[in-house]
Amino acid sequence: MKTEPALMSLTSVARAIADKQVSSREVTQSCLDRIARWQPHLNAFMAIEAEDALKAADAADAALAKGARRGVLHGVPLAHKDMYYEAGKVVTCGSRIRRDFVATTTSTALQRLKDAGTIRLGSLQMAEFAYGPTGHNVHYGPVHNPFALDRITGGSSSGSGSAVAARLTFAALGSDTGGSVRMPAHFCGVTGLKTTMGRISRAGAMPLSQSLDTVGPLARTAEDCAVLLRLMAGADPADSTAISGPIPDYAAATTESIRGLAIGVPNAFYVDDLDEEVASALDATIAVLRREGANVVKVELPDQRQLSAASQLVVAVEAAAFHKRWMIERAQDYGPQVLMRLQNGLAIPGVSYLEALRWRGQALAAHVAAVANVDAVIAPVSPVPAPTIAESDVGNSPDAEAVIQRLTRLTRPINYLGLPALSIPCGFTRGGLPVGMQLIGRSFDEATLLRVGAAFQRATDFHERLPKLP
Amino acid sequence: MTRPTAKEIKAMADAAGVPVDNDVAARIANSVGPAFDAFAAIAGTLPFDLEPSTFVVVQTEKAAR
Repeated sequence: MKTEPALMSLTSVARAIADKQVSSREVTQSCLDRIARWQPHLNAFMAIEAEDALKAADAADAALAKGARRGVLHGVPLAHKDMYYEAGKVVTCGSRIRRDFVATTTSTALQRLKDAGTIRLGSLQMAEFAYGPTGHNVHYGPVHNPFALDRITGGSSSGSGSAVAARLTFAALGSDTGGSVRMPAHFCGVTGLKTTMGRISRAGAMPLSQSLDTVGPLARTAEDCAVLLRLMAGADPADSTAISGPIPDYAAATTESIRGLAIGVPNAFYVDDLDEEVASALDATIAVLRREGANVVKVELPDQRQLSAASQLVVAVEAAAFHKRWMIERAQDYGPQVLMRLQNGLAIPGVSYLEALRWRGQALAAHVAAVANVDAVIAPVSPVPAPTIAESDVGNSPDAEAVIQRLTRLTRPINYLGLPALSIPCGFTRGGLPVGMQLIGRSFDEATLLRVGAAFQRATDFHERLPKLP
Repeated sequence: MTRPTAKEIKAMADAAGVPVDNDVAARIANSVGPAFDAFAAIAGTLPFDLEPSTFVVVQTEKAAR
């Protein structure tokens, strides 16, 4: 095989392994070679388990030789955000507090990917306890953007975004409570799927906010995200919020034309105060979707600032409740910014928290009514391309919360509504920084988002651009 | 809904068993204030028999177009 295996997409490499065009060992070694070259520059991995990965690859090859293909991702090496429990493995959650925590269970999402045949490369860096949108981590150092090493990756799935962009792993699990899949996807030029609340079980995934946490993949293409979603979606006895019912064939959806689909463009909020190059990328993306046959129309959405505020009230209280014991016993072991944000939850009365939760259904109904005539809404993920690591290192300074809220302004409302959103690479700035857009869909209609994303990726090559080693 | 003052936050944190000093309370008041302001138009207006579980009902009922 002439192509460096690590550069293939998830679906392509899985097919190549199944067809015995390449072995799992060759694929795994290719990823490990890239990790060895890139990790000193990126700090994307929390742990690299080269020896175990190669042993697992050899076992996968031996099984395949005997006709025992475990699943559709047989022998494909992956690494995930270090908050998915795997029995017997250290899961740091990006924290000092859990530096030595060894999981005794395996998360449902991870187990389902393992059942499909994936093997483990190691674990990926993340913001401490998934509570930060930049990629800074005071305990383990910042993760660097492969397209510009002095820039942030976005967070909290910082290692996932960086590692997928640099082709160190074919895909990675992230989590999205306020934008943590979409932000790294936007800043790092990869495809990221924030799933509908209830689409994928959260059992065995570190909690941040039980009302808003979602599991989602970052990968190189919409098609890859479709394959991963199909594997992970569905009911789970260990998580009552994971819904039952049929699971669509998401991969099939990615082959469909978008001719005749209606795409809404918000007339306010998501198009306000954008960096000039982000605004240009939005216009160019809309033009591509029109060329592919979509009908693009303006939509007037309810007040998104109220949604964002409700989201903040909910996350702050739930995060503080999860962390209360450690806030009392181990406050000194938190990074200053994370402790600062956790303390915010102490200031919100119970009645205000419950009002924010009680309003959620009404808010979703109002949104559904506003978008009744469109199949998806398109909007930027963040108003800006990746800031520098230095300028976004605000710690617990008085203006830190304002900086965080500005970065996540366009993602938080979607978490409050529990909607799915797909972030796709849709351009680069003149300075070479990726820009992404989010396609926002109806509850449980990830298929339409993946369909639009795949059509866009057939018409463009932003998702194929590779960062260069310095 | 009015944003809590630093003094009120200090009392709430104490009651929660996670005491904070005056500077931290002031910082928290500054951080959470904008969320309270933006949510003020909703707070205190919700119908009596609206439950949080309405969200799941709307989510599943309105999923299809």
